[in-house]
Amino acid sequence: MKKGKTAVMGASGKKANGKSGFKYFLWILPFLILAFLFSYFPLHGWIYSFFDYKPPRSLADCEFVGLQWFRMLFTNETQVSQLIQVMKNTFAMSLLGILTSILPLGFAIFLNEIKCKKFKSFVQTFTTLPNFISWVLVYSVAFALFSSTGMVNSLLENAGIITEPIKFLDSDAHTWLWMLLWNTWKGLGWGAIVYLASIAGIDQELYEAASIDGAGRFQLMRHITLPALLPTFFVMLMMAVSNFLNNGLDQYFVFQNSFNKEHIQVLDLYVYNIGMTGSSYSLATAISMLKSIISVALLTVCNFVSKKTRGESII
Amino acid sequence: MKKRIISIMLCTAMTATLLAGCGGESKSANTGSKDGNYEEFITVDVFDQFANYQGTQSGWFAKVVKDKFNMELNIIAPNVAGGGDTLYQTRSAAGDLGDLVLLNTSDGVLKDVVEAGLVMDAADLMEGKDIIENYGDAIAVTNEGLPEEGMFAFPNSVSSDAATEPSEGLDPTFGPYIRWDYYKTLGYPEMKNMDDFLDVLEDMQELARKEEGTDDIYAISLFKDWDDNMMNNAKQLCCMYGYDECGFLLLSADGSETQSIIDDDSIYKEVLEFFYEANQRGLVDPDSTTQNYDTWSAKYTNGKVLYCPWPWVGKNLYNTAEHKAEGKGFMFAPVEDMKIFSFGSCPEGNSTQIIAIGSNAEDPQRMADFIDWLYSPEGIRLNGQSNGAAGIEGLTWEMNADGKPELTDFGKQALPMNDAEVPEEYGGGNWKDGVSALNFKTVNLEDIDPATGEAYDYLTWETTIENNQTALDLDWAEHMGATSTMEYLEANDMLAVAPGSSYTVPEADSNITTIRGQCKATVIDNSWKMIFAKDQSEFDSLLKTMQDTAKGLGYDDVLAVDTQNASDWTKAREESAANYPEGKNVEDNSEETAE
Repeated sequence: MKKGKTAVMGASGKKANGKSGFKYFLWILPFLILAFLFSYFPLHGWIYSFFDYKPPRSLADCEFVGLQWFRMLFTNETQVSQLIQVMKNTFAMSLLGILTSILPLGFAIFLNEIKCKKFKSFVQTFTTLPNFISWVLVYSVAFALFSSTGMVNSLLENAGIITEPIKFLDSDAHTWLWMLLWNTWKGLGWGAIVYLASIAGIDQELYEAASIDGAGRFQLMRHITLPALLPTFFVMLMMAVSNFLNNGLDQYFVFQNSFNKEHIQVLDLYVYNIGMTGSSYSLATAISMLKSIISVALLTVCNFVSKKTRGESII
Repeated sequence: MKKRIISIMLCTAMTATLLAGCGGESKSANTGSKDGNYEEFITVDVFDQFANYQGTQSGWFAKVVKDKFNMELNIIAPNVAGGGDTLYQTRSAAGDLGDLVLLNTSDGVLKDVVEAGLVMDAADLMEGKDIIENYGDAIAVTNEGLPEEGMFAFPNSVSSDAATEPSEGLDPTFGPYIRWDYYKTLGYPEMKNMDDFLDVLEDMQELARKEEGTDDIYAISLFKDWDDNMMNNAKQLCCMYGYDECGFLLLSADGSETQSIIDDDSIYKEVLEFFYEANQRGLVDPDSTTQNYDTWSAKYTNGKVLYCPWPWVGKNLYNTAEHKAEGKGFMFAPVEDMKIFSFGSCPEGNSTQIIAIGSNAEDPQRMADFIDWLYSPEGIRLNGQSNGAAGIEGLTWEMNADGKPELTDFGKQALPMNDAEVPEEYGGGNWKDGVSALNFKTVNLEDIDPATGEAYDYLTWETTIENNQTALDLDWAEHMGATSTMEYLEANDMLAVAPGSSYTVPEADSNITTIRGQCKATVIDNSWKMIFAKDQSEFDSLLKTMQDTAKGLGYDDVLAVDTQNASDWTKAREESAANYPEGKNVEDNSEETAE
């Protein structure tokens, strides 16, 4: 009897919890559905890597080949060395990107010091704009400037400095650096926005107190602005690390040619080149699956390090 | 309670809209229009792998199509869009290539599209039409061995000549065409081989720059748009030595010899060395690495390049009436050790290039009527103008008093593809922009037009040859001792005719296709790098890289497949040569059509 009573009570208590729990669940349901549709549903495409998929036919008409494509990636040295070169490019460019992520921070601090409001907002708009230009257009600008009959070469030739046009676009010299420069040019102003916002949030009293204590302009920057921005910086850094393998495709796609391919081909571009132009969707899917696995591995490592050093995990 | 219901409803609505977005649209079936009566104006999507123009067809050809079929052609051109097979694959994966589909069927593509239901069986639509009566046999051969029985595809360049006859008219497809005016000024230096050819080009460039007073003239200019198994520009010179590609093999016209392109002693490597040497001497346009076909061909129009591998570019773009009268223009210059590859006529049609009706075509009957028209004498004259036919009767040509076809003054000005203003009644605009963008030669232009009794190719007309006595032609004929390039080549045994056959490269195992894709990239990238190498040692090391990487990726497996294909192809050529030793009787042909 007693037992039964508690059981009923327990059940009703659970029921009440369940009711409100279900209500809360409904609140997040739309987002769960979205996350499922856009993050998990596409994963069913992985199935293509186990088939011998030939585009005009449906998957049902294609042969099941098991792990053939995964094995193919590692069957011979040349495949492996190509993959290694691609990973080198991916890591190098991601790393360079992370190393230069300090630039927007510095840019924001210095921009903030400009007293003339009009000039400041002009600079800010001017540097933010490139972010909204697509890479295709950036390339056409690059082409107009740096092709063999482009502005730079024509200027230099007319000035008598060179006789043969310099090959800027179709050479493999300093490819990583060039890509980094374009990337920085495009993203600097945009990257600074978040820092400018957090600078606006710094308590003005701190500055007043410090200047009464006799701090100069650079000391204010060094001891107040910079420390206040560091938390934001680390969040941004963390996000950059998690996107380590995703350094995009469009920039490298528009700039690639026979001459710089060896050093410009990042993982995403490699997948595109093999899958779309090389007409092997299945192999490309297999490679991009590997990418997901590496990403998860990186995340786990990060998490482990964070746990050990800070005592709390990221995920 | 109320809130809960609302939230549930919201959630359902949201999911429903999301899912609705994913659903495919189904096209409503459209009934075919009545014969000859096209009430509704439609835009036809043409997926065309041969077109070099993307967008809506404009000008005089658009007007003809609009008047006859009440439709306009929206050309979708992978050649322009770039990215190799991307466009074909994404469109075919989506299940709709277009209303009209023009495809290269190598590697089992025709089988694939039929199996995937992307093209339509047109047997019923074509019933009783002239195309069946005139070209039924060739169409049957093209549709042999497909997964389903039916009339899915229509072949290219059907001919009534013997298989061993060249399919080209007065000029071959490839050849060392150079600016004759400069060659003449240099005193027609003799050229025994490619080395001599290079020396001549160097002298010509120097001369041209001096005469024009500008430094932007180059002997050689290259572009990358057509690179496939190998670098296309380099392949052209291989063709001038009697080879054509079969995958990674170069196959001689008679099938007696095959070369793997990456070998140390291959002609392909020799050609790369030729270009490398040219670049060392400053003869190669530095824009070569980045320009596309449009920029490249514009340089011919403007006279900035001195060598052209194709008469249909060099001659068509630069040899205008005005230039020819001044003695300027691209002409064939003999390099003695060359043996120019020539495509033999295809009595069974060339099934590697086909036109078909897309399975989702808006108005299949109208598409069938259009294709039938493309194979009719009028269609050949108009659509074939992009390949050298005469164009519109009454505008570009007419029958003269002797009953012979002759170009009009406008025709002389506008043909082959010039900026001539077209009268408003014919659609306006300029002639060049109005030329059919389909770039699909349905019937070989050396066939006889029943209406005129001469070939569709106006260059071979008696009247054209009589009228073509410009300073340039006279000088060339006098020096060469022949009236046309073909005549010269045949007289000097410098032509290697590969008999035309309906052979198409069969589908390869997907493993092979994948390796081929990777090897292609290696071959093309390194070919370009080799040409622009700093010095001989870099050239050699790049060659080594190319060989090692390709072999490492599995080049030899691909080559084994190509070797098999090459031997099958040669067999097909021999069979075709044996089956069609003589052309159809011309008179018979015209009678048939007259009925």
